Amino acid sequence: MRKFPMNRRSVLASMAAAGLAAGFYPRAALSQDGKVLRVRAYSDIQNLDPAFRKAAPDDDVMRNILPGLATMAAGDSWQWQKDAATRLEQVDATHIEFTLMDGLVWSDGHGPVTADDVKFSLERMIDPALDSPYKGDWAALDHVEVSDDRSGVIILREAFPPLWNVGLVFGSGRILSRAAVTAAGGRFDTRPPAQCGRYAIREWLPKQRLVLAKNPDWPGTPGVFDEVHVIPIDDEKTAEIALEAGDIDYTWVAVSSIPRYRATPPRGGKVAVKPSLAYVWLGMNQEHAPFDKLEVRRAVQQAVDVPSVLEAAYFGAAVPSTGLIAPGLLGHRDKLIYGYDPDRARDLLKQAGLGGGFDCTIDVLNKAERVSAAQAVQASLAAVGINVEIRPHDSGTFWSIGDQSSGDTWKTIQLLIQRFSMQPDPAFATDWFVPEQIGIWNWERWNSPEYGELNAKAKLETDNAKRAAMYVRMQDLMEESGSYLFLTHEAVGVGYRDTVEPALMPAGNPIFYGFRPVA
Amino acid sequence: MLAYALRRGGLAVVIVAVALVILIAMIQFIPGDPAAVLLGPLASPEMREAFRARMGLDQPAVVQILRFFFRVLGGDLGTDVLTNRPVLDTVLEQLPFTLTLIFASIGWSAALGIPLGCLAAVRRGSAADRLVGVLSVAAIALPSFVVAIWGLLLFAVTLDWFPTIGAGEPGQPLDRLHHLVLPSLAVGLGWVGYLARMVRATMLEVLSENHIRTARAFGLTEGTITFRYALKIAIVPTVVLLGIGVGHMISGAVFAEIVFARPGIGRLIFDALATRNYPTVMGAVMVTTVFYVVSTLAADLVAAALDPRVRAGL
Repeated sequence: MRKFPMNRRSVLASMAAAGLAAGFYPRAALSQDGKVLRVRAYSDIQNLDPAFRKAAPDDDVMRNILPGLATMAAGDSWQWQKDAATRLEQVDATHIEFTLMDGLVWSDGHGPVTADDVKFSLERMIDPALDSPYKGDWAALDHVEVSDDRSGVIILREAFPPLWNVGLVFGSGRILSRAAVTAAGGRFDTRPPAQCGRYAIREWLPKQRLVLAKNPDWPGTPGVFDEVHVIPIDDEKTAEIALEAGDIDYTWVAVSSIPRYRATPPRGGKVAVKPSLAYVWLGMNQEHAPFDKLEVRRAVQQAVDVPSVLEAAYFGAAVPSTGLIAPGLLGHRDKLIYGYDPDRARDLLKQAGLGGGFDCTIDVLNKAERVSAAQAVQASLAAVGINVEIRPHDSGTFWSIGDQSSGDTWKTIQLLIQRFSMQPDPAFATDWFVPEQIGIWNWERWNSPEYGELNAKAKLETDNAKRAAMYVRMQDLMEESGSYLFLTHEAVGVGYRDTVEPALMPAGNPIFYGFRPVA
Repeated sequence: MLAYALRRGGLAVVIVAVALVILIAMIQFIPGDPAAVLLGPLASPEMREAFRARMGLDQPAVVQILRFFFRVLGGDLGTDVLTNRPVLDTVLEQLPFTLTLIFASIGWSAALGIPLGCLAAVRRGSAADRLVGVLSVAAIALPSFVVAIWGLLLFAVTLDWFPTIGAGEPGQPLDRLHHLVLPSLAVGLGWVGYLARMVRATMLEVLSENHIRTARAFGLTEGTITFRYALKIAIVPTVVLLGIGVGHMISGAVFAEIVFARPGIGRLIFDALATRNYPTVMGAVMVTTVFYVVSTLAADLVAAALDPRVRAGL
């Protein structure tokens, strides 16, 4: 007997045959010709100006539509590679020479990409009048000297190693057209006035999709897919279902889904697990009693069973961390100073005069894994007599509770579970805990002048061994303070259809133009 | 009828104004600094101050309310602080998706729920009545998000009949319809139950009235009695319920737009609230409030047109 398979096409055909719209539906799923890559972004684009970009989806798009001198390469280790430059060389500690590729042309009739555009773009990042929040990425830039149409020299005031891991290779290093941006009033938002990349924005339907079309004028190696559709899907679980249904080709998956996908891969897809650079920690506000006592903070550090916390929050998909800086990066620390020891924690509480225990609060973002982690911390601390009340907050509230300029809620913080994202340079992790950040992002209100000095010096140190030792010492200081219990770097789960070979940075950041179809 | 419509119209304007005052007042008490949330960790204190001034957050609440009202009167809902696009443009882009979802949901639920209610009333006490009763309660009891997830897993992933995400290709109505099936199923299923129960109850009341007995005595068929005489009266409370339901479904659309990654006003408000993007929150909520008030007003006017007793009572 002949079978009639039911699938989306047959459903559509049935709807058309039913007289709903015969003839006005010219094609089925757009990607079925294999030339369209559909990727999920966790939010819609918000700002594509390198100086004012908002989130990772902005960076992921900018990488495809704006040229840079360098970019991060796909692979398992953090390596930069030339992007729109044929030459990029640090000739001494403060001089970086560059030559642009021949044939780079801006869209919309804005002419060739020139060394003067590089000068405009990089100096713009540190322009006090523009006040870019990313000016720190180019903090050591003095100026850019233009040698000819395609060549120039980036001149730094002092050596600045983070430039090669952050400033040059990510969003802050993207090049803009001086003429186009100036004509647009000096800055732009979601519609770049001129583009030059392997792709260009063809269409943006807010909250629906952004369509990148291959740029035929790109003189280097082009992208493989004719179009890339960037689809904003807020909900991770929805994205996972869409991947399994074949509606998208690539997405990040929830950390909590990784063990399930390890056991049973998504139908027609694969999941890879990448080491995340992010860092998650349990913080303690030194100015709020009883955490103003070192013994109490140390007791909390030694009372929390971190593997149990991670099992509860990430179902075994994440491993304990030893500091802010992830394995594989300069400055990674091999081990903790203070391990899990609940008996010692009880002794410390007695020493602090709190042998009978006490009540306190823990503030967390209302994400499932953060709340689960807080519940596991609550259970660990209950075992030594500390009763914890969990206070979950939505993102809008959470991200300003420790900010002194936003009100008085910072005074109520006792414990908190916090997660910061990270770039592949240690300076990006350590900047937030200096004394100047107290009341801004240093919510533990830890004040260590030694840490602050080391942080400033490490950014300028060109000897990698010395630089690494400084960052290890800084993490030792954090742990010694008792205000920090390092939990994990999490993990990044990347799901993709088995018809696609993704191009990913070591932490899973997608490079759309490097994705290829699998024959 | 005209006087009634004018009275209800005036009342609608007052309701919109009061709702907006409450909204703006509530925003004052929501914790979280929009400048900190929107500008991120790297913003300098000066940037944050400039941002607060640009959003008018440094002004007293009364000033903010008055400014907003004057802007709205001039047809300006403000500027989205993330994208710098006019809020009105953003809202008008998203609104059609939500309206399509709401009307599709209410349409299919009414098309199914009203006849089921009639059937249950006409066959009171029969197996059909009991079956409709059980199914109605089940439909009401099932949480919409559960229906959405089950629908996705069954009809999109396992059977591959419908797409999981999005609203379909622009300019391709059949594809848009294809993308609408699962979201409208999730949003509308509970309403099938509500409507069936309500129509059954009101029909039973009407069917026991004297004029229906008289119609039967004149030998009219059951079909004519049910659909021409009884339903016309019994439908009035249902029409009012539908008017309220259309407004109520805007909140139901929030989850559907998130779960199905559809564009729409619900998702717009949800995202804007999470990032404390207040101009967009206020503009979008104002539009939905107006829509809610207009839909209930329309329902009242239809009810008044159907039943002169409603007009007389107000």
